[in-house]
Amino acid sequence: MDYMEEMAKYYTTQKQKDFTSDFLDPKQIDSYEFWDEIQIGEESEIPTKFEVKAEDLKAFAAAVPDDNPIFYDEEYAKQCGHDGIVAHPLFVTQIRFFLLQGGHGSWNRTPGARNPGQIIEYYDPIRVGDILTLKLTSYDKWIKRGKYYMRALSRIYDQYGKLKMRYYSTLILPRTKADVLRFLKGEHALEA
Amino acid sequence: MENKLTFESIKCGDKLPAVQQHLSQEDIWHFAVASLDMNPVHCSPEWCRKSQVFGIPETVQHGQMTLSLLAKVITNWAYSSGGTLKTFEAKLIKPVPVDSTCTYGGEVSELHPVKKGKDFVAVELWATDQNGDKVAVGKAQVIIPQ
Repeated sequence: MDYMEEMAKYYTTQKQKDFTSDFLDPKQIDSYEFWDEIQIGEESEIPTKFEVKAEDLKAFAAAVPDDNPIFYDEEYAKQCGHDGIVAHPLFVTQIRFFLLQGGHGSWNRTPGARNPGQIIEYYDPIRVGDILTLKLTSYDKWIKRGKYYMRALSRIYDQYGKLKMRYYSTLILPRTKADVLRFLKGEHALEA
Repeated sequence: MENKLTFESIKCGDKLPAVQQHLSQEDIWHFAVASLDMNPVHCSPEWCRKSQVFGIPETVQHGQMTLSLLAKVITNWAYSSGGTLKTFEAKLIKPVPVDSTCTYGGEVSELHPVKKGKDFVAVELWATDQNGDKVAVGKAQVIIPQ
């Protein structure tokens, strides 16, 4: 059984079933953005929206794994002072991967990418029923010890225009499309 | 429901209850599906044997899973008392290969008495592997409303 079949056992939500899950599919690579193409200051509003469903929140918390009832039991969460079931603080990961499947921000999916650290500012809780929009800015890129870093700023808003969070995501990436294609073949291609 | 955490009850130096988590390939696949980060560096043992992105022939835990478990230290401690994160940041120091067991901990480092409902504390966070090596460090600001 290959790893895609193994992962399919864990699908529980509609978004998971609809997601383009094969990050090694060569046909997708043409729609990706590569480190050497990133234009600092480029900003875009991602046209796809993310409608938050209870199943999305519960699926994320279950995989952390975190069985705290604030993530599953609406009544309990309200007794604790929250508006309803709580979104796990790193739920933003699911939002970004769902919304950034091609074009600006698709470096998220690059085979060979490494995660050196992240910064999140929270302004308003994510709630079931929210319809979220992502504004993405290519914030910075730099070379350090022969590795190619990039930082993006994601601002997430609800359907009323209220800012929910600002998320500075940093990745170490293969530099060029040719490097990513080497990774697709299973060759290491991260260092300059 | 357990005793509520209050801002007045918290002191600098308070240790938060630690979280320990063993990591299997099944755990990684589960997190990959939930986060939608299905990068082969986490999900494909065969691909990792060839590409060795981190210089090792094994899959590694998602950095976002390490961050999620650091955040669990906070949510376990404060969220049942109505607490919420104000900011969260973490630096990943060392990859966590499949079949590792890590411990995630935190300690209160700052108290910020702003006003009732907005008071917050800062917590230093860290994660260590089964050899005691640090794999991540972080800092969170947590609003304690009571």
